[in-house]
Amino acid sequence: MSEPSTRRTALAGAGVLAFAVLTPVAAAQSERSDVEIIEELLTFEQRLESAYAAALRRDAIDTELGELLRNQEREHIRALEQVLRGLGRRSPRATVPPPELGSALRGRDTFARFALDLEGQAISAYMEAAGGISRPGLRRPLGSIMTCEAAHQVALRSAAGLPLLAPAR
Amino acid sequence: MRRVRAPVTRRAALGGAAAVVLASCGGGDPPPSTGPRPGSGAALLGSLLALERAVIAAYETSAEVLRGDALRYAAVVRGYEENHVRFLEQAIRDLGGEPPAGRLAEEYERTFPRLRDEQDGLRFLEDLEERQVRAYLEALAELPDRDLRLSIAGIGADEGSQLAVIRVLAGRPASPHPFETGAL
Repeated sequence: MSEPSTRRTALAGAGVLAFAVLTPVAAAQSERSDVEIIEELLTFEQRLESAYAAALRRDAIDTELGELLRNQEREHIRALEQVLRGLGRRSPRATVPPPELGSALRGRDTFARFALDLEGQAISAYMEAAGGISRPGLRRPLGSIMTCEAAHQVALRSAAGLPLLAPAR
Repeated sequence: MRRVRAPVTRRAALGGAAAVVLASCGGGDPPPSTGPRPGSGAALLGSLLALERAVIAAYETSAEVLRGDALRYAAVVRGYEENHVRFLEQAIRDLGGEPPAGRLAEEYERTFPRLRDEQDGLRFLEDLEERQVRAYLEALAELPDRDLRLSIAGIGADEGSQLAVIRVLAGRPASPHPFETGAL
């Protein structure tokens, strides 16, 4: 999944026209099982949760915003773990935080950009999952987390004084 | 015993108006066409298209009461919605259908509430964006074609961003819920 993460970064928030570019990559991933898809999403959520927790400890994010985002990521983790249990799997082990997190914690601006990137990767993963997972009953709940992560990006941009939305292409 | 009626807040009234808009936005439109096969998803895409067009009209009407950042972002969001319309029109054609014609601006406006100020405008847009989020999430569960679902998920993410932007412009938290399900 290393190559798509670069594409995901580029595509995050770019809208449906850019997302159409993703389709060939997504098609190549269509062989993944539902369990593998949920496990990947859980990995993203664990990274996000640990990033917000670390930022709160280092004062690299506004406390109220950081707690809100961290707590919502925890809700997502709980939901995904519940889905995995329903599919007969135990949750995978916690992931190692990305190495860039250390330097991202130097200040609020750098952390905001790091978190925006991570949220963007998660959104793209959720797009693929909500559209591609074979169980129809899971698509809407996954979509509801995807739209929440999209709102997280807006919250981060607002806090960092960045434009709330990129211009439509 | 006499029933006491709950007071209708301005917010509830605007939300109700949004529901009326959405209930009526596809009702009078012609069906996509007889071209696509039943179950292809073309009818569902036609409903999403009718909704998008009504929302674009709502952004145009709301612009009359918006100022500054709200006005500027409303124009950006309207641009996103126009891209969604183009995508949906093409997707319906790809399924062998003909996109339903839109309505005149005046026809949409007749179903809109009276917007007195910027807060009214933003509340109306927030309600409409919530309904769009819900519509796209429901479409994810129903569309049969995987590639189409992937694209619809992309639009759903756009709608989630747009909803959050409207909330921020109205002075509310961007992400009040861990699961953004939208509203009916």
